[in-house]
Amino acid sequence: MTAITAGTAPSHIRSDQLRRAAQRRRILESVGATGLGLFLIAWTLFPFYNIFMVSIEGHNDVFSSHVWPAHPTLHEYWVVVTQSYWYLNYFWRQYGRSVLLAGSVTGLTLLIGSLTSYVIGRMRIRHGWVISNAALLTYVIPASFLAIPFYRLAQDYGMMNHLVAPVAALVTFATPYAIFIFQNYGASIPIELDEAARIDGASPLQIYLRIYMPLMAPALVAVGTYAMLLAWNDYLYQFLLLSSKASMTVPVALAQFLNSDEAPWNLMMATAIVYAAPPIATYYMFRKRMTAGLTLGGVKG
Amino acid sequence: MQGVDLDIRDREFIVLVGPSGCGKTTTLRMIAGLEEATSGEIYIDDQLVNDVAPKDRDIAMVFQNYALYPHMSVFQNMSFGLRLKRMPKDEIKKRVAEAARILDIGELLDRRPRQLSGGQRQRVAMGRAIVRHPKVFLFDEPLSNLDAKLRVQMRTEIKKVHQHVMTTTVYVTHDQVEAMTLADRVVVMNGGLIEQIGSPEEVYRAPRTRFVAGFIGSPTMNLLPCRLIANGSGLEVHLSEWLRLPVPPERRQRYQGRVGSELVFGLRPEHLTEGRGELSPGTAAFDAPLDVVEPMGMETMVYFIVDGTEVCARVNPAAAGKAGERMRLVADLNQMHLIDPKSDLVI
Repeated sequence: MTAITAGTAPSHIRSDQLRRAAQRRRILESVGATGLGLFLIAWTLFPFYNIFMVSIEGHNDVFSSHVWPAHPTLHEYWVVVTQSYWYLNYFWRQYGRSVLLAGSVTGLTLLIGSLTSYVIGRMRIRHGWVISNAALLTYVIPASFLAIPFYRLAQDYGMMNHLVAPVAALVTFATPYAIFIFQNYGASIPIELDEAARIDGASPLQIYLRIYMPLMAPALVAVGTYAMLLAWNDYLYQFLLLSSKASMTVPVALAQFLNSDEAPWNLMMATAIVYAAPPIATYYMFRKRMTAGLTLGGVKG
Repeated sequence: MQGVDLDIRDREFIVLVGPSGCGKTTTLRMIAGLEEATSGEIYIDDQLVNDVAPKDRDIAMVFQNYALYPHMSVFQNMSFGLRLKRMPKDEIKKRVAEAARILDIGELLDRRPRQLSGGQRQRVAMGRAIVRHPKVFLFDEPLSNLDAKLRVQMRTEIKKVHQHVMTTTVYVTHDQVEAMTLADRVVVMNGGLIEQIGSPEEVYRAPRTRFVAGFIGSPTMNLLPCRLIANGSGLEVHLSEWLRLPVPPERRQRYQGRVGSELVFGLRPEHLTEGRGELSPGTAAFDAPLDVVEPMGMETMVYFIVDGTEVCARVNPAAAGKAGERMRLVADLNQMHLIDPKSDLVI
């Protein structure tokens, strides 16, 4: 610890007192921070604990009151993975569709968002601000209000039970945010890099691919994660637009579990955990890059 | 920007100099093609390039903040333009190695820009320009982000590189010392106009306008309001009740028509020094009450007031008087300038 000792302190006693007071404050601070941290961890993990506990309980044990199941079993996971329950007949197909949906939403959002921000922010088209403001304006209407219009649109165009419908809806909601973030982040990349590349002979498309996109990596990861989670966590649009068993995604299928008299809670929770794995893995993969400042050092330092 | 008429010769090192906002950077960016000229014509090698894209103008530019691509290594930075042109790999390697040798950055080729010091980044930025073997180099205040010591070093380096590759160069700076030391010809700009084009020697010795007289040279030229009067067969510059300086006979013809008019008298501090024995022709001595004395080591600046205007003289430290004392100074009037305050032109 580095206590700052005043040069004009009247005596050693006084500086000792000061040092002890500073020490006390530091201990209090760390105790407080640790306590708050533990509380938040517990708060976040408690639902997970519940889900996990229910998923490893035997079928007859569900909702009996205990902290840890008497006979923990991974049997339910086996049932999910092998699709050996009638609710789960299409599980892997539905899972694949969820992955495809999230992937398409993420990819399209990044593509549309980055191209738009590139054209507005880097190529400096006239009145570009109109586009970005108009995009943000869509957030004035809550997404759930648009569910019915989207439902009708999908029906009119024969897109019901096609993945295209929820992808289109979710990309619509993710893109304005993407444009906003990309434009803000892009403003921190010096325009001289584009000019240098232009003089070096790069076309606008080459600048986009070889200069802009690599430097936007942190923003791409952040927005990509956002778009992926938006699609992964969405229920409303997938429920409205995908209704046949073969076309639905995991969240919709999961809700079906509650449709009959029999409610296999442990299976449902096991499915939920299998479904929750990809976002957690993605987050861990990219957590470092989300904060990486790639543009440091390109210009004067 | 208007009326910028500039003809740059092959292999010449041209420096555009002027205060910020004078249009020098805009001129450079128009040559580069980053800025569009609303009127007028730009030629490179007798080819009209107004509507030619920057990449087809065969130019290379070094930016003020270097604009190195942060996600590429030094080698990738330098070879980016060549790779876009799909030049053979061996040729790219050869050219980068050659530029790295000239700039002494061979060791750094695998590093990223953020691992380099300011001076090294500057070299890489120059290397990126050199490898392309362009017709024209454009420099946009390339040294303004370096500390004073490094700036002097890099200035010499740039001069060396130019002597080595002998490519036509247009260099923009607001630092007149850079302009004087680097240029074959200096273009002094102000308010979007060219004030004067000439060799460093010319703009220093024979400024054409009041702006050039005041801008070039450090410390700046003393500019004082005066009246030109006839004194018998000769002319005199009347600066104040106590200070009248005789105009050298050779200048009499030139100034004859201005007798009686209010003018501005200009004389550089280095032409106002301590008395050294006999007065040579064209010089005049006077006693000045010193106001401020600033020793600089090699020389001492002494200041005195003439009718409310501070005047600076550059004297030998050994001869310098003290503030409050009177000191005998000699003005070399062979170096004087008279400026018409209405047109701001040097007469």
